[in-house]
Amino acid sequence: MNLRALNGMPPWAWSFLAAVLVLILTYGISGQGDGQTITLALTVAPYLVLVGLGQMLVMTAGPGNIDVSVAKVFSLGGLLSIAVAESTGSWLLGLGAACGVGLCMASISVIAILLVRIPPIVATLATSLIASAISLTLAQGFQGSAHPDLRAFLNWSPLGVPAFAVVVAAFTLAVSWILARTVWGAQLLAFGQARRAAQFAGIRATRILVVVYLVSGILAALAGALRASFSAPNVELGNDYLLDSIAVVVIGGTLMSGGRAVPLGVWGGALFFILLDGLLNLIGWSYAGQNILKGFLVLTVLFLANGAPLIAPSAASATRKQPLSPETEPDEAPHE
Amino acid sequence: MTSQTTRTNLFGITFPKGRVRRLLPALLTLVALVLILLICGTLQPRIWSQIGFTLIFSPIVALAIASMAQMVMMSIGDIDLGVGFFVGMVTTIAATLLRDTPVFGALALIGSVLAYAALGAIVQLRGVPSLIATLGASFIWLGIGMVILPVPGGTAPGWLSAYVFWTPPFGIPVPLVTMAVATAITWWMMQRSGLGVRFRTLGSNPAALARAGGSLVVTRMLAYGVVGCLGVAAGLALTGEIGGGDVNAVPGYTLTTVAAVILGGGMFTGGRAVAWGTLAGAVTLGLLTVLLTLLNLSSNLQPAVQGGIVIAVLAGRLLVERVAR
Repeated sequence: MNLRALNGMPPWAWSFLAAVLVLILTYGISGQGDGQTITLALTVAPYLVLVGLGQMLVMTAGPGNIDVSVAKVFSLGGLLSIAVAESTGSWLLGLGAACGVGLCMASISVIAILLVRIPPIVATLATSLIASAISLTLAQGFQGSAHPDLRAFLNWSPLGVPAFAVVVAAFTLAVSWILARTVWGAQLLAFGQARRAAQFAGIRATRILVVVYLVSGILAALAGALRASFSAPNVELGNDYLLDSIAVVVIGGTLMSGGRAVPLGVWGGALFFILLDGLLNLIGWSYAGQNILKGFLVLTVLFLANGAPLIAPSAASATRKQPLSPETEPDEAPHE
Repeated sequence: MTSQTTRTNLFGITFPKGRVRRLLPALLTLVALVLILLICGTLQPRIWSQIGFTLIFSPIVALAIASMAQMVMMSIGDIDLGVGFFVGMVTTIAATLLRDTPVFGALALIGSVLAYAALGAIVQLRGVPSLIATLGASFIWLGIGMVILPVPGGTAPGWLSAYVFWTPPFGIPVPLVTMAVATAITWWMMQRSGLGVRFRTLGSNPAALARAGGSLVVTRMLAYGVVGCLGVAAGLALTGEIGGGDVNAVPGYTLTTVAAVILGGGMFTGGRAVAWGTLAGAVTLGLLTVLLTLLNLSSNLQPAVQGGIVIAVLAGRLLVERVAR
């Protein structure tokens, strides 16, 4: 096999390849090739995709940028939206409240990052602590269930294609378009590739960072609200979404060091994770075994698909990324 | 003045600028630590005793050692998002294998350190971001821990419990001894040994390390191995503290240790090792929980106050740094 040819694959292809592989395995083991598996995966995936898209935008803003508050904001969004929808009778107001609280939480992160100059991982950690305190207070004696209309929509899948998945897919395309075609998208990518150069070119850090963190917060809270309407609100509803959202984004081909966003890859990564869970449940693996395999697969995918070529261009490369390409040059302290 | 170093003026005394930048954050954290301790002591005077100190500091020992591991990781410019589950996994090994069949237990612990070193090799050879590699590994730690102990249980080995319940002479609390020894060893390794120089060079200027003839792969593997060793030490300390094993005991360590290193003056960009500062950071974060309990604050609100105080301390540091400049 010519390994060099593999380096020319588009960045999102790997995640879909992995997802298809798992799907084929699932079909092989269950012995039936119906669309049920895909429909189920498409019903569950959009929530992870929404969180992942926010995380992707944040990571694209350059090294050091990450949002570790998504899990707690997700849970908070879920609890609040159900509470508001229950008391007002309108699911739209519930979703609005979730977006609002996501915005508030993300604002705390933004203020801490831009004004107090706290590294994003610590700033968003503080935000997540605050969000979890609010969730815990809110959850005391909490009783409420989702609005039936909203739940019906989330479960509605005409012709085996969940309508909600189509909506999120359209949103993903919109994000792709914004990144590829608008000035702001180009600025975000430039900022992520070389922060200092971008700033010399007149791109303001605030304009980029404020937007990505706010969008990530809103998306996490909104996804939480929808997920809570799909099943039931819970303080621990979002816990899996932190690690999963980061893993899914990176498996999808987005560069952790910033400057390359692959919205389509988030779908591939999410489907891969969800189909994998389904497959492991099918063959009766315990939760423990599932975690071990998931870990090994994440490492394997990273090993195969990461930016560095499988065959190094020359043995002389001193740094762990190719030293000559400007976009992978080890950046100067971004938050000093 | 003949010295070539740039100097900065702080409260009328001049210091080398580099040293101020390195030590100031830890100093501020230390001030916060002393303040919190004093408030705790005012609220509950009984903590001023060997038993009192042992009680409030023993839950912090494992956090402090795990923070050392994170500090070594951050000194080479990487972040470990798997340390919480790794420490949890070590407690499950310690509470079962290490107690029943010490040889197998020790082999398992050595194996997990080697696994960490292998992780370092993957990160270096394939240019995988450490954040995501350790995240992937954390799934594995969690899984292994659940295989060994599906539900919390087991018993700490006898010698470990004996150490935890040991009463040293002169009224010195055991947890302080453990933390001080662990920090001193880490400090010596990072600041006084050739290994530490190589780690810090890998963090600040990997190209320089390569040109000086050091192997990047070997250095990174060694650093990850050290992180693994410290993780094992933290796990053993935690086993002694909780008296058993639970893989889900401390998932929060992953992010708390990062906060401890940052509070201690560490940086994400690598090249800086702050062992004593990290200790101050970890103890501050641990004491916060004690303080909030003493204040009878609803346990639901505790995380919010913790988050707020982390922001406040870092904001205070920014202010003081501006003044110092």
